[in-house]
Amino acid sequence: MTEPNDVDRYPTLSDAGRAMLTRMTEHPAAPAYRNRSGNRLLAEDMSGLAAFEAETLAAPIGWRPGRPPAWIGPFVAETYAKVPHFRARGAPPRRLADVPTTARSDLARDIAAFVPDDVPVDRLINFRTTGTTGHPLLIASHPVVAARYLAFHKRALARFGITLRASAGDVGVVLLGHQKRCFTYVSVTPTMGEAGLAKINLHPDDWRDPDDRARYLDALDPEVIAGDPISFASLLALPVTIRPRALLSVAMMLTDGSRDRLEARFGCPVLDLYSMNEVGPLAVADRTAGGRVLLQPNLYVEIVDSVGRALPHGERGEVCVTGGFNFCLPLVRYRTGDTARLAMAGDVPMLVDFSGRRAVRFRTADGAWVNNIDVSHALAGLSAAQFALHQGADGAFVLALSPEALDDAPMASAALARLLGDVPIRIEPIASEDKVLQYSSDLAGSTAE
Amino acid sequence: MKPGPPLERVMRRLAETPDDFLAEPRIDHAGELVTAALVGDLFHALGHAPTTQDVLPADLRDRNRMQLTAVVVWLLADDWVATAAPDRAALAALLGDRIAQLAATGRVDQFIGDVDRREELARTLILTLGLVPAGESEAQAADRLSAVSVVERRRLLRASQQAEERARAVREALIRKAAEESADKYTRE
Repeated sequence: MTEPNDVDRYPTLSDAGRAMLTRMTEHPAAPAYRNRSGNRLLAEDMSGLAAFEAETLAAPIGWRPGRPPAWIGPFVAETYAKVPHFRARGAPPRRLADVPTTARSDLARDIAAFVPDDVPVDRLINFRTTGTTGHPLLIASHPVVAARYLAFHKRALARFGITLRASAGDVGVVLLGHQKRCFTYVSVTPTMGEAGLAKINLHPDDWRDPDDRARYLDALDPEVIAGDPISFASLLALPVTIRPRALLSVAMMLTDGSRDRLEARFGCPVLDLYSMNEVGPLAVADRTAGGRVLLQPNLYVEIVDSVGRALPHGERGEVCVTGGFNFCLPLVRYRTGDTARLAMAGDVPMLVDFSGRRAVRFRTADGAWVNNIDVSHALAGLSAAQFALHQGADGAFVLALSPEALDDAPMASAALARLLGDVPIRIEPIASEDKVLQYSSDLAGSTAE
Repeated sequence: MKPGPPLERVMRRLAETPDDFLAEPRIDHAGELVTAALVGDLFHALGHAPTTQDVLPADLRDRNRMQLTAVVVWLLADDWVATAAPDRAALAALLGDRIAQLAATGRVDQFIGDVDRREELARTLILTLGLVPAGESEAQAADRLSAVSVVERRRLLRASQQAEERARAVREALIRKAAEESADKYTRE
C-alpha cells in the first residue's frame, strides 16, 4: 500500500494554496507539525458542496417535537433497503416509533454493516472516536462529509450575526489542542478560496520556545479558533493580541464562567457546539433562547427512555437521532448517550437541560436524589475549563477541578453544599490532560436504567 | 391431491394484504398485533382447537416470521380454505415449520411485492394444505414450486456472497486510511 502524498491530500491545490501551506509550516515561530492530512476534495466535489451549503443555510428544521417529518418514511425505507445492518431486520416498520434504536455498541461491533451498498469504497475515510466512556470506534466517513461540517458551523455562526469571510491569503481556522500527544497538521479549505487551516497543540513540548505559541497565533491571525474548554484555558494564558471573529468550542461542556472569560478577552462570540463524530454538529448553545438550538435540517430528534420508547414532549431522556448528512453512515434512531429534553426556540427545536451523557443522579444528605443537571446549574459560575463530580459508594463526593481553577474551590464547595446538604466533599485537581467523565457515581440507583 | 384455488386468486389476495395484517407484531411490550391470537382465531374459525403453542413458540421474537405468519392468516381467511377444510396437522405444518423456513429466506414485504416470491408463497401454501393449484397436475405444481424456489436459493446465495465481499472491502478501506490521516473538518470532536 502506497503512503498518501500531497496530491491525495490536496487534489486541487493551487500555487496560492501551496504558498499558504508553506507560510504556516515555515513561519519562524511555527510548531513542529507532527502529522500530515488534507482536505482530499476533488474539483468535481465543489459544486455539490456549494449547493449543500446554500441549502443548509436556508432550510428550516421543518418539524416539531413528536411529529416526524414527511421525509422520515422514505429515508427509513431506503436505509432498510441499502444498509446491511438494517436489511437484516426485515421489512421497515411503517411507524418510526416501531423502529428499534441503535447505539454506539452496534457501530462498534461492525461498522461495515452500517455503510450503504452504493457508497464506493475508494474514497472512504474514517474518524476515530473514543468518547469519555466507551471503546474506540471507527466512524465511516468521506472527504465531502468532512467538508460539509463547515455548512453547519456557518449556520450556527449566522445565528450570532457572523458570516465567514476568510479567503485566499487568510487563515480561516486554527484548531487548538492541549494534550501531551496531539495530531497536528496544516491544510487549506478549497471552498473558502484555499484559506489556511492549522491544527496545533498548545502543549509546550510541541514548540521550540513556548513563547512562540502567542507569536505564531498572532502571525496566523485566524478568522475562527476551534477548540475545547481545556485548550481555550491554555489560550487565555497566552499574551496573544489576535481578534478572531468567533470561537467554536466542541467536545466538552463549556461552563458559563469559561465562556464569559473567553468572550471578554477576545471580544467575539464563543459558540458552544454539541457535536459528535457519529452525527456531526447537532446544535449550538444559545443563551438567549435558553437551550441548544438544532442545526441540521435533515436530522430528526426524539427523546427516548431506557428501552427506546419515544417520551412525551417536554420529558427529559436520551437524545436519539434519525437522518443526518453522512451518506456513509445514515442514522436510524441512533441513541447518542446524551440527555436532554426538547423545546422550541421560535420555529426551531432546541435541546434544553442538556447533559453530555446519560443522566446521573446524586444522593443528597437527606437521602433525596438530585439530577446532574442541577449540579450543572449550581456550578454554572465556575471558571474552570472542566470539572468532574463523583459520588462514592459511601455517599461522599469528589469534585475534580482543572488546576487553574482551584481558587474557585470554596465557591464550588458552597454551591454544592447548598444543593446536596451536609455531605463530605473533597476537592482535587484534574490530573489528566484529556477529557474526563463529568458525572459518575458508585451508588446503586444513580442512573435511570 | 385435490384441486385447490387458482394460483392467481391466492397471489392477488397476497398482493392486496390489508395494512392491519402488516402492523408491528407484539414483541415484549412493543407492537400491537398479537400474532398468536390471530392464529388461534383462524384455527377456531376452521373448527380446530384454538391452542397454538405447538405452532408458534411462546417465546418467538422473530419479527419477520411473525409478520409472515400474519400475512398467511390473511390468505387463509378466504372462502376456498373453509371449503377445503384443511386438517389441523396440515395447518400446523404450514403456519409452523414452513413459514419459519420461508421467513428465513426473505422479508415479508418481498413476499408481497416481488412476483416470484409471491408465487413461491402462494404455491407453498396450496401444496402444504395437500392441494394443487386449479388446472395444474401434481407434477406441474411440484416442478413449478421447485423452479421458483431454486431461483430464489441461487439469488440468496449470490446476495450473501456479495454481502460478504462488500463488508470485507469496506472494512479494508476504512482501516487503510490511517486513523487520523483522514480529512479536514473545521472542528474536531
